[in-house]
Amino acid sequence: MDSNKKYWKGLEELNKTPEFVELNKHEFAEPIPIEEVLTGGGLEGRTPRRDFLKALGFGVGAVTLAACQKVPVHKSLPYLIKPEEVTPGVPNYYVSTYDGQAILVKTREGRPIKIEGHPNDILAKGGASAQAQASVLDLYDTNRFQSPTKNGAETGWAQVDDFVVRELLAIKAGGKKIRIVSSTVSSPSTLGVIADFIKQFPTAAHINYDAVSYNGIIKGNQNSFGKAVLPHYNFDKADIIVSFAADFLGTWISPEEFTRQYVSNRNIKSLESKKMSRHIQFETGMSLTGSNADVRIPIKPSEEGPALVALYNAISGSTLPGTKTIDNKVAANAITIAAKELVAAKGKALVVAGSNDVATQVLVNAINSLLGSYGTTIDLDNPSLQYAGNDAEFVEFVSDMKSGAVDAVFFLNANPAYDYYNSKDIADGLKKVRLKVSFASNADETSSLCNIVAPNHHYLESWGDDNAISGYYTVLQPTINPVYDTRQAEQSLMKWSDNPLKDYYSYVRNNWNTSLLAKGGLSGQSGWETLLQTGFVKAAPVTGGSYTFAKDLNAVAQTILDHSKELAGDKTEVQLYQSVAMRDGKRANNPWLQELPDPVSKVTWDNFAAMAPSDMKRKGLVDGDVVKIDANGYSVALPVLSQPGQAQGTISVAVGYGRTVVGPVGKGVGQNAFPFYSLRNGTFQTSATATLTPTGDNSPLAQTQTHHSIEGRNSIIKEATFVEYKKNPAVGTGKSEDHKDYTEKNNLFWQKYERPTYDWVMAIDLNACTGCGACVVACSAENNVPVVGKDEVKRRREMHWIRIDRYYSFDDKGDGGVTREHAIADLNTDQLDHVKVVYQPMLCQHCDHAPCETVCPVLATVHSSEGLNHMAYNRCVGTRYCANNCPYKVRRFNWFNYWNDARFENYLQNDHTLLVLNPDVTTRFRGVMEKCSMCIQRIQAGKLKAKIEKRPLKDGEIKMACQQTCSANAIVFGNRNDPDSEVSKALASERTYYVLEELGVQPGVGYQTKIRNISELEA
Amino acid sequence: MRSFSLIFKQFSRSVLLIACFAFLGSYAHAQGDAAKGEALFKAKCTACHKINQVLTGPALGPQLTEETDDKYLIKWIQNNQALIAANNPKAVAIFKKFEQKGMTVFPELTDADVTNIITYVRTEWKTEQDAAKAGPAKGGETATESGPSDVVIYSLLGVIVLAFIIILVLNRVIATLERLLSKGSEVLALETAEVGGEPVDRLAGLKKLAKNKKLVFFVLLCGTLALGSWTWVTMWTTNVHQGYQPVQPIKFPHDLHAGAMKIDCQYCHSGAYKSKNASIPSLNVCMNCHKVVKTESPEIQKIYYALGFDPKTQKYDSTQTHPMQWVRIHNLPDFAYFNHSQHVKVAKLKCQTCHGPIQEMKEVYQYSPLTMKWCIQCHKRTNVDFKGNAYYANLQQVHDLLKDGKKVTAALMGGIECGKCHY
Repeated sequence: MDSNKKYWKGLEELNKTPEFVELNKHEFAEPIPIEEVLTGGGLEGRTPRRDFLKALGFGVGAVTLAACQKVPVHKSLPYLIKPEEVTPGVPNYYVSTYDGQAILVKTREGRPIKIEGHPNDILAKGGASAQAQASVLDLYDTNRFQSPTKNGAETGWAQVDDFVVRELLAIKAGGKKIRIVSSTVSSPSTLGVIADFIKQFPTAAHINYDAVSYNGIIKGNQNSFGKAVLPHYNFDKADIIVSFAADFLGTWISPEEFTRQYVSNRNIKSLESKKMSRHIQFETGMSLTGSNADVRIPIKPSEEGPALVALYNAISGSTLPGTKTIDNKVAANAITIAAKELVAAKGKALVVAGSNDVATQVLVNAINSLLGSYGTTIDLDNPSLQYAGNDAEFVEFVSDMKSGAVDAVFFLNANPAYDYYNSKDIADGLKKVRLKVSFASNADETSSLCNIVAPNHHYLESWGDDNAISGYYTVLQPTINPVYDTRQAEQSLMKWSDNPLKDYYSYVRNNWNTSLLAKGGLSGQSGWETLLQTGFVKAAPVTGGSYTFAKDLNAVAQTILDHSKELAGDKTEVQLYQSVAMRDGKRANNPWLQELPDPVSKVTWDNFAAMAPSDMKRKGLVDGDVVKIDANGYSVALPVLSQPGQAQGTISVAVGYGRTVVGPVGKGVGQNAFPFYSLRNGTFQTSATATLTPTGDNSPLAQTQTHHSIEGRNSIIKEATFVEYKKNPAVGTGKSEDHKDYTEKNNLFWQKYERPTYDWVMAIDLNACTGCGACVVACSAENNVPVVGKDEVKRRREMHWIRIDRYYSFDDKGDGGVTREHAIADLNTDQLDHVKVVYQPMLCQHCDHAPCETVCPVLATVHSSEGLNHMAYNRCVGTRYCANNCPYKVRRFNWFNYWNDARFENYLQNDHTLLVLNPDVTTRFRGVMEKCSMCIQRIQAGKLKAKIEKRPLKDGEIKMACQQTCSANAIVFGNRNDPDSEVSKALASERTYYVLEELGVQPGVGYQTKIRNISELEA
Repeated sequence: MRSFSLIFKQFSRSVLLIACFAFLGSYAHAQGDAAKGEALFKAKCTACHKINQVLTGPALGPQLTEETDDKYLIKWIQNNQALIAANNPKAVAIFKKFEQKGMTVFPELTDADVTNIITYVRTEWKTEQDAAKAGPAKGGETATESGPSDVVIYSLLGVIVLAFIIILVLNRVIATLERLLSKGSEVLALETAEVGGEPVDRLAGLKKLAKNKKLVFFVLLCGTLALGSWTWVTMWTTNVHQGYQPVQPIKFPHDLHAGAMKIDCQYCHSGAYKSKNASIPSLNVCMNCHKVVKTESPEIQKIYYALGFDPKTQKYDSTQTHPMQWVRIHNLPDFAYFNHSQHVKVAKLKCQTCHGPIQEMKEVYQYSPLTMKWCIQCHKRTNVDFKGNAYYANLQQVHDLLKDGKKVTAALMGGIECGKCHY
């Protein structure tokens, strides 16, 4: 079956809007003013004679002066006393922890330059998120607090200590409340320090406050089973997953871990054993998870409750009071199918909901209990400790503050003045607090309201530990001396509470010696040293009991349905979500994350209101039109974006944008959507109803999705259903008898190249790739890819060497599984609601017969005997012919000298952040082309290591930066000359195809078809 | 020429004479074999003593020359502790003079051995003293640089001169022939005789030359060629700093350390084996020796200053450190990747291959041009040293090439592809 399916990158392409068609005629967004120059227009411009002479004089003078200095003097400063473990030029790796996940930190000459996943980490098994990859840049952020401040003025630590201790003693004597407000602390040592602090000040208490809260699940479990825990989910044990708006691959609880688990049932290995899990997603906006689902049903937030009730009814066979039939026919149908499949897969089924509503979570618990999920796909006995925020406690704290009952408050990694839904209450309340201390390392909304800022270390400068999942203890160790005059927050708390231990390192050591090391069977000094090499200990898991839900659901159902009724109505329903790149906005000053395109919308540097295309049409809006959104007494103006798959009558808005007190990177990026949150039954709710009023403005979004056109070609994405795959694994690749052979022997123009030593190739499994974009950030960090900013992205000048292409296609349902070219004319809204999404990582394909090479007039891009397409920057003269001739559009042109241009300094490309650059990769100058080099520095280093150790190169020893960070293991790299290598095996898979194979360019990157598990039941 | 050899003869004769006297003079003192003594001296004594300088122990030259009691000396050297214990007044005095730090005992040395050592030290000291009296020795002339480009230029100049002569001769011949044609053969003999005999009016000749179109053309041609080749050479060598020899903050003599002392390059440049950087040694490496060696030298004092080291108290003060700012000599551009370990450890190249006779350089200069042409030439000429390296065992290419009887050069292994050095 050759695919007749129509793919498109954006609605502009689908609808062939005049602007899109016009833009696509050009390789570069802005035409070069050749005409102007040729007609003399450029010469007619007035250059006064004096200016000309001045410039000439200066030029001649400068050149003469520059020529005088024969040899530029470069100073070379060796260590005075070289640390034993440092060899200049050789990286050292240290274990540490990011967000509870064991990681490796690559350091060069004592500077951390890259974060890499820890291969033995039990969460992601070597994967690392985009946030983890980007976190290293924050270390060198020049906007960090460089010393403690008191009332906004810089001061010293002694003064701060003196002041805080005096105040604390006075407050202790006064007997009013002291509060430590933090986002979830899962570090045992930090918790210990806080407990010691509370012992010293009995009126103190610790409040966990998460901007994006999972309190609903915790309370739901308390309610259902008497265990107030966030369970540990095992997506790898589930044959069928039904998710109600839980974006577990993108943002929900532990996405890297869940991605690994989820993909283990869908990757090449699983498919070859004819196994594939099934995933049904009900959600409002198109999330990363929804776009990966086999079946995705758009539902409004108000329909979520009734849908869950219906699912419960269908599974239990009973009818909860107040049940009504769902108006949404498609959803109702899907619920029936889902229920059937869930029951059939009892014990291997999992239902999750992203809602933070307690009643909803209780109902989900009841469903999971009926499905026998407890003890299999859900583990309540080894819970996750990643989120412990308690919404009610925080709300109580806010009212305490307002009533003047709180005298001291400490903010640790918490920024409620920005992310609390009623930030005015925080500001008002803080006015009545005597001592306000923030441990923020960058200025934020809360720290600006505090009288003391005691800046915390960056995590790469800190000692510490973490405990993401019960029994999994990881260690943090500093990999650099503190860059600024900061102090670890725990150290400050210890100092202020007069802790008997004087420094936090001893505290951590002590804690591990007395309790944690033993859990991993280690002890003493040698145990500690082992830990600093392995990074973690894992205690034996607690064997779980079985849990059965035995509560009355009538009241629960009533609450859910009441809530649903409140949301439903004429108004537009608003769903608030975290974007995959920005999450809760704490890293808003990180340019790598701001420039990472959102996986689905491909928007950078902004948040927006995602709206169904049919709604847009009805309201007469076009992309970028600014609308005022009024809800919960708060309003923001945001540009709209037509998002296929968005439930009609709803909009989705990302939180985490619109920071007001932040460094130059995050300033003015988007609008804050946290105030749309509301408090309901003791937890924060992420949906609201709003009225929309167009303001008449248009603010174009910097979207990367339509920067290249698919040009009507249908050999880019290939997919098949699981049913078809089981019959014929090669289905969808176009490999059949009448398939033309595009391999070497039919190729008449090109001579065959010898690949005598290695043939470096890559295999990418489209069924494993979730499109999260971690590889994009990892690549930027590894290869010194510059950030260009919103304006430049709008001009289609983003520099990413690897991009994730997102393609939409119509749902299979309806007209026999395919949508032909002509069918686009009869496009109806229903089809746009049910689009399918395929993600395709696109990077230089290292074609054997590369079209870029033949057009380069200066031979700056040539082929190597190892199958790589080399790019010699110093030879490139910038004709850009190669980019024009590249069928994959992966070449990037340096329009500016990004690393040394004042215009780009705001994106942390300044003298200080040069320290994060990979010293083994050249930073490219203005006017040259660049593209994926297949991490050639890693290939060369790997070969050299083998040569020095006098052994053959091992398969899998050299890993690409993108491959290494991928939690889904979607990317495999290796030597095709070795038939036993992983990549040779992967490319031998029947599912393998090459993008635009018919061009005969012989790409070096093979893709494996996307397989969807669409069952016969749906038909 | 003759006068030089005369001077040389006189000089060498006097040196020989002095050496002879010195030898005989010392021979009168104690009979021993200076050659054997030298070997023993280097093996046993150099850790603490020098002949002309105080080190851990006193300078032995003056010490042993002043002290003429050989029996006492033999006893002292063999076992000074015994002498001190026996309260020998001389021994106790020395012991007290040197802060009661006893000397290592050498019971394994026989009387003859010690005599040999004493003989050697005295001879050496005498020679040094005499040489000092004879006047400071002339420092060896540093070899002048002559690159291949000079040869080319000289040969070009030679060609030009030759061409000039040929043209002059031809001009004469043509003129003669012209005259021959006009006046006939009989007049010829007369005229030529006249020309040969008459004195030439120089100015007139020049004027004549200026009117000679061929000559003017030739001069212009030469000028253009000279200017052109100068431009060519200048442009080729832009940013090529061969011979660059900046002044370094410490006058570190490689000829002494790597040459005379034969310290292995990697003792200091330890990165060369494991890293892309050979690395400039950190100063703590210097301190391995210079905590005791040549402590009074102003250059060594600079190390102490940089490290915050107080030679009197032998303590480091980490608050008083000053980074050592060496001037980089070998400046590869940023876009060229070079890895020392690849060349030193894998290819087993000698440092001198690229850095030149470093063991003879008083101050280091850039020996090689460090141009891409230079890199590639070497990659094309150098065979890959794959013997005993299992890395190459699985590379089919190597086997095929060997079977064909070809040389396996670095270039054949892909060593001249752009991406091997530019990324």
